[in-house]
Amino acid sequence: MLGIKDIASYLPEKRISNYDKKDKFELDDDFIENKIGVKYHTVKEDDEKASDLCIKAFNNLTKKMDINIEDIDCCIVVTQNPDFNIPHTSAIVHGKLELSNNCACFDISLGCSGYIYGLSNIISFMQSNNLKNGLLFTADPYSEIIDHNDKNTDLIFGDGSTVTYISEDALYTVKDFKFGTNGSAYKEILCDEKLYMNGRAVFNFTATTIPKHIKLHMEQSNLEDKDVDKYILHQGSKYIVDTIRKRLKVDSSKVPFDMYEYGNTVSSAVPMVLEKELYKAHNKILLCAYGIGLSWGSAIIEKQNSKDIK
Amino acid sequence: MKATIENVKEVIEEAEVLGDVNEMKNDVSLSDQGIDSLDVVNVYLLLEEKFDIKIPDEDLMHVQSIDSIIVYINNRV
Repeated sequence: MLGIKDIASYLPEKRISNYDKKDKFELDDDFIENKIGVKYHTVKEDDEKASDLCIKAFNNLTKKMDINIEDIDCCIVVTQNPDFNIPHTSAIVHGKLELSNNCACFDISLGCSGYIYGLSNIISFMQSNNLKNGLLFTADPYSEIIDHNDKNTDLIFGDGSTVTYISEDALYTVKDFKFGTNGSAYKEILCDEKLYMNGRAVFNFTATTIPKHIKLHMEQSNLEDKDVDKYILHQGSKYIVDTIRKRLKVDSSKVPFDMYEYGNTVSSAVPMVLEKELYKAHNKILLCAYGIGLSWGSAIIEKQNSKDIK
Repeated sequence: MKATIENVKEVIEEAEVLGDVNEMKNDVSLSDQGIDSLDVVNVYLLLEEKFDIKIPDEDLMHVQSIDSIIVYINNRV
C-alpha cells in the first residue's frame, strides 16, 4: 500500500534573530518566545529558488535512504513561490535531479495546507496510474515576499523545504483525509507584491474552524483522543498551536511545537515536524494544516512496519 | 445575556492573560494594562462566542476597556 517511506528537510544556515527586532516592533522576550514562538527565522540566499531548496532536501534524503533515480516515476512540488511563472517548478526539479523521462511531474499551488493536499494527490495519482516511487516536495521561500515593516509577517516566516518519499514499502499509510475551504475570506492572507495577513481574522479562523474540523474528522474515523499518539499541527505560531490544543483539550505532550529556531515554513511546517516523529513509537498520528485560502486539511496516518520503531 | 464587569472579567481570565484580572481597572484600555495584541484578539473572540455577537475590525476602537466592552455588548444583545 502506498504511503510515506521517509522524509527529509532542508533549512538554510542563515538565520535572522527576532531579538534584534525588539525595538523596531516594540516586543519583549515573552512575546517572542511564548506568543509567536519564533526566536530565529531562516532565510535562503538571494540567488536560491524554490527548486534549489527542493534539491537540498533531496540531498538530505539520500543520506537517509538509498534512492535509485531511475525508479522515481512521480514528482510533485507544492509551492506558491515557484522559480518562475512558467514552467512548473517540478519540471525544474526533474531536470536538476536528472529524473527519468517516464516520470510524471506537476506543481500544486497551495500554502500552509499544501502538504495534506499534496499527500492525498500524490498517493491517489500514483495509485490511479500504477506508479511506484514518488517524491513530494514542499518549498515556499517567503523571504521573497515579506514586507520587513509588517510585524504580522516579518517575525514569523522562515524559508525551508521538505521531500517525502512515497512507495509501497511505506512506514506510514494514510487512513483517511478530510479537507475544507472558505474562499469568501481569501483576502485575509494575500500577496499582490508583498505578503499581507490579517492576524485577527487568521486567528479567529484557526481557533474556531480547526478544532471543530479535527473533532469531526476523528469522530468520522471512529477515533478518540486515546487512539491518537500525536497531533502534528501546522506551525503557524505558538499562540495558534496552543489555542487549538487547548480547545481540543489535548495534553501538550501530544502536540509538538518545533518552530523556535526556524519559523513558519508554510507547507513544509507539518512534514518538518513529522520527520522528527516518524521513527518514534507512535501508531496513529493526526496531521492538520491550515492557512492561505482559507484552506485546511487533515490526515490520519497509521504506522505499518513496527520493526522500524526505535 | 447582558455583559457585566464579572462576566467580562471571566472572559478575560479565560484568555489566560498575564496578571491578576481582579486587579484590572475598568476604565483603562486592556493594552495599557499589559495585555498584548494576541491576547486582546483572543479576548474579542471569546466575547463574540460568549455573547453571540460579532465585533467587526472597524468597531475595535469601541471595545478597548472593560467599561467600553460592557457598553458595546449591551447595546447589541
